[in-house]
Amino acid sequence: MEAVGARSIGARVMRVEDPRILTGRGQYVDDVTLPGMAHAVFLRSQVPHGRLLSLDVSEARALPGVVAVYTGEDIARLTTAAQAGAVSGMNLSPDMKSPSFHSLATDKVRHVGDPIALVVAESRYIAEDALELIVDDIEMLDPVVTYEDALDPGKPPIFDELEDNVYLTAEMAFGDIDAAFAEADRIVRASIQVHRHQPVPMECRGLIAAWDPSAEHLTIHASTQSPHMLRMVLPDQVGIPIESIRVIARDVGGGFGLKNSVTREDVAIVAAAKDLGRPVKWTEDRLEHLATAGHAREEMADLEAAVSADGVLLGVRMDVKVNIGAYPSDPFPGAMQAYTIIMSFQGPTRLRALAGTSAALFSNKATYVAYRGPWATADFLRERLLDIVADELGIDPLDVRRRNYVVRDEPPLAMLTGRPFAGVTTRESVEQAAGLMGWDAFGERQRAARREGRYLGIGMASYLEAAPGPRVPGQDGPDIMGYETAHLSIEAGGQVVIVTRQQPHGQGHETTLAQVAADELGVRFEDITVRYGDTDITPMAIVGTGGSRAATMANGAVLHASRELRGKVISLAADLLEANPADLELAAGVVSVKGSPVVSLTLAELARVASDEPHRLPAGAASDLAVTRTYDGGRSGWSGGTHCCIVEVDVETGIVSFERYVVVEDCGVPVNPAIVEGQVRGGVAQAMGAVLLEHAAYGEDGQYLAGSFMDYLLPTTTVVPRIEIHHVQTVPTDPDVNFRGVGEGGMIVAPAAIVGAIEDALRPFGVRALEQHLPPARIVELAGTLRPR
Amino acid sequence: MKLPPLHHNTPATLEEALDLLGEHGDEAKVIAGGQSLVPMMAMRLARPAQLVDINGIASLAAMEDRGDVLAFGAIVRERAAEKSSVVAERAPVLAEALPHIGHVSIRNRGTIGGSLAHADASAELPAVAMVTDAHVVVRSRRGERIVAAEDFFVGHFTTSLADDECLVEVRVPATLPGAGWSFQEVARRQGDFALIGVAAMVALGGGGSIDTARICVFGVAERPLRIRTVEDALAGAAPSPEAFEAAAADAARDLEPPSDVHGSAAYRRHLAAVTVRRALTAAAARAGVPG
Ligand SMILES: Cc1cc2nc3c(=O)[nH]c(=O)nc-3n(C[C@H](O)[C@H](O)[C@H](O)COP(=O)(O)OP(=O)(O)OC[C@H]3O[C@@H](n4cnc5c(N)ncnc54)[C@H](O)[C@@H]3O)c2cc1C
Repeated sequence: MEAVGARSIGARVMRVEDPRILTGRGQYVDDVTLPGMAHAVFLRSQVPHGRLLSLDVSEARALPGVVAVYTGEDIARLTTAAQAGAVSGMNLSPDMKSPSFHSLATDKVRHVGDPIALVVAESRYIAEDALELIVDDIEMLDPVVTYEDALDPGKPPIFDELEDNVYLTAEMAFGDIDAAFAEADRIVRASIQVHRHQPVPMECRGLIAAWDPSAEHLTIHASTQSPHMLRMVLPDQVGIPIESIRVIARDVGGGFGLKNSVTREDVAIVAAAKDLGRPVKWTEDRLEHLATAGHAREEMADLEAAVSADGVLLGVRMDVKVNIGAYPSDPFPGAMQAYTIIMSFQGPTRLRALAGTSAALFSNKATYVAYRGPWATADFLRERLLDIVADELGIDPLDVRRRNYVVRDEPPLAMLTGRPFAGVTTRESVEQAAGLMGWDAFGERQRAARREGRYLGIGMASYLEAAPGPRVPGQDGPDIMGYETAHLSIEAGGQVVIVTRQQPHGQGHETTLAQVAADELGVRFEDITVRYGDTDITPMAIVGTGGSRAATMANGAVLHASRELRGKVISLAADLLEANPADLELAAGVVSVKGSPVVSLTLAELARVASDEPHRLPAGAASDLAVTRTYDGGRSGWSGGTHCCIVEVDVETGIVSFERYVVVEDCGVPVNPAIVEGQVRGGVAQAMGAVLLEHAAYGEDGQYLAGSFMDYLLPTTTVVPRIEIHHVQTVPTDPDVNFRGVGEGGMIVAPAAIVGAIEDALRPFGVRALEQHLPPARIVELAGTLRPR
Repeated sequence: MKLPPLHHNTPATLEEALDLLGEHGDEAKVIAGGQSLVPMMAMRLARPAQLVDINGIASLAAMEDRGDVLAFGAIVRERAAEKSSVVAERAPVLAEALPHIGHVSIRNRGTIGGSLAHADASAELPAVAMVTDAHVVVRSRRGERIVAAEDFFVGHFTTSLADDECLVEVRVPATLPGAGWSFQEVARRQGDFALIGVAAMVALGGGGSIDTARICVFGVAERPLRIRTVEDALAGAAPSPEAFEAAAADAARDLEPPSDVHGSAAYRRHLAAVTVRRALTAAAARAGVPG
């Protein structure tokens, strides 16, 4: 730790959570064992689409050690079917058709992995033995796999009660699109695809539900990003009121957005635990996880851009499709993407007009979930389009970016959606990245390498990340994830306790929130404890951790709460010391009179007076050393930056390697630069996976083809190169809180930089990359280097 | 992903192990490093009722240089062979192949014998056994057989081992003096099973022409393939880029590799040609052909 007196904010403080986690003392759901606990396993559909004709669980029920076997019929008796989004209000859009469904298949199976039955046994081993004894009879139906299938009226509706497979359609327009097209020198068209891939946290899903029949109280141990969300979503389905549900989440092994939903398995396990009156644990295994936990990103867009002769985007028309799979996720259905991809498309450009239509479509695939930067396709589309414009007009892609990205404090001062371009440093990051990378000299190297049969390419992309970002003027009030509340108190020993509604799952909140409080309060970092993950103590929040909001929102709440608590401490000390508050200072947990340090009181002494001797306080003085503070985000600015990379493509094998990867980013004031850089690196690594390795692939017949880590390939240390991270000089937008989120930035922008670099490497082969996923087999196909037999 | 019910036997001697195999027949399976078998049992793709664990049998633990051959007992770990200077010098193609197998932690447990007995069509070591003309020694209560690699591999996950037999030793011939070897594979990531791989050897004769060439391609068929027609055609030829290019095209032409999420048959066939050319070129360079 830093010496006393040094500022904690901005220091590379070692994460306090690491010793626990790295020495195996973390407590994940599977580490929790409750007395009398039984173990659950789901029988899952092997077929993509079918009618469940019969299900015989009698042999499984008879196996010694089996406690119970639940079928869809049982679940329909024990729970109430739900519409995804009922709690968030996202089931009610007029252009939306929301199906209701149960946690186990009742009439139909709708994707490979759809849960059909739930076995509860004395051990996971016995439960898996019992699975093999269940006999199901399923009549196969025509599978709905692709966008075309979903729009084909000849295909059966996945939910019988809806006539077709269109979940939601949306239409949006900003600016004068017709004028933009009338003015254009050139129309550029592209149809761009992002493939289905998935978050893949290290810890799969899992929960333990324990019903106390005498207290009529449910305790859930969950692997979740949002403990309170379970309390909000479950009551309508399982018939337990919110005040009788406590959710505990200790360490969570990653989420990336996937664990910001309440899944059908959660409902089924809770129903079983309540029915049985004994704790039931479900630990998802990797096979289940890859097939069913949730996929993301299967999106495409037809783009039409009105472009000026010098490569400036004047207007864009876009038609977006989102393949959201069978069961919309709850409480934030994937249909949201139909809007957000259009709304987020503009990024840091001066785009004058944007018109979009979009459709979210059902298919016989696993549930679409949020994944690190849920709108990421928007950034990919925009940056790809800029590269395509550069290529079609014969302009350097760097110059196209210079001409399209806004300059701070020059018009336009706001996006088409109304959000101000407050403090954006995109242009600075572009120049810094280009300089670091030697952009101008690269062409010469590239030509020299080609003469040796080596193919190098360079790519660049920039982004803005709203975390939460500036508000549209006049639109006050919280966004969908709400304001952020923090609770601070001083314990009897003088230690400070922060209670946050954030649910850390890798971000290091135990460290960063304490850093903020240490500086603002004037206590030592090691005297601060961050508590989270128990809904009995944490403030209500539909989303715990998500949307890269903690940097601004949670740090902001802690900063303001610390300031208020400091005020309380000083005023109490002033009373006791009979001093003027203005003459007092609080440092390292001791209040003293400036200039005469012997006249002092420790936080422990103050806490004791506040709790045990309130009679010593003047009448009316606050006697508790605790503060609860809600923060609205203040005048938050944008995170953003530019990524630039050089790749080498082996055009004979299609294997891509990274020569250099540079990130120049602006996340405001980094509370802990090491944590910021970890977030950036992780995001870039996932983007490398997305482009080169990861594909949640389905066959034309709807079979899932990426069911194990031999088929679904993650980036490893041998794939991911060193990632150089540079920070741009930031522009403050708020008087106090200029910490901005970085959780999603790496992941949303890197795919475009990487694909751009690969396309550049393959330029001699006339390749245009209109898809995000470029595995080696696809690269040789695009390059035309595949030799005939 | 939990194992089905089974009985774990831990014999201390080979005789006990062979008795168990003889007694239980196709109900039993040998377990060596467990790096292939345990995942298969966890996914319930293999469900032996009796596991015969040979890890406690001291007589199977030796790695020996016997002059003309290197002998590896059935529980010699892949990592031990990888770290051996004797292997690096006397069986360089084996040394070059080993690091391609999974990751260090897997090679710390996985055995050479287990990899051959497992006979995955995309595995490295069966190809090494084929290209070096290795032999395996197998034992049962019925006696001992010494089987040439060519006769050992039958298909994907299938060998000529009978249910009651245990592989006890792998014999890899020491390399010919002056021969150049190369082991090359294309995998999506370091450590993955190969999309396609090639083990090759080139030895030069008088006048700088090729005396002997050996080519074994794996990941393209049910078992590793020696491409003998091309080997024969190369014998006596000048070791030129053109000759290797032509040999590679010939070697790949008739292959019928599998298709999967990682690539089509056509892609793998293409990779076979690329990799055979690269392997022959690298092997020739090591045999002394100027670059
Ligand atoms: C993540 C991961 C990645 C891997 N990557 C690769 C890779 O890239 N390339 C590769 O080749 N392998 C790979 N493997 C497999 C690994 O190399 C195994 O070590 C090897 O295939 C088998 O050796 P083993 O000793 O572990 O065999 P085991 O798993 O113990 O046994 C495998 C099979 O061989 C039989 N068997 C074993 N020993 C004998 C014997 N003495 N007599 C008769 N039968 C026997 C068993 O009954 C079983 O059927 C990987 C494994 C993992 C987990």
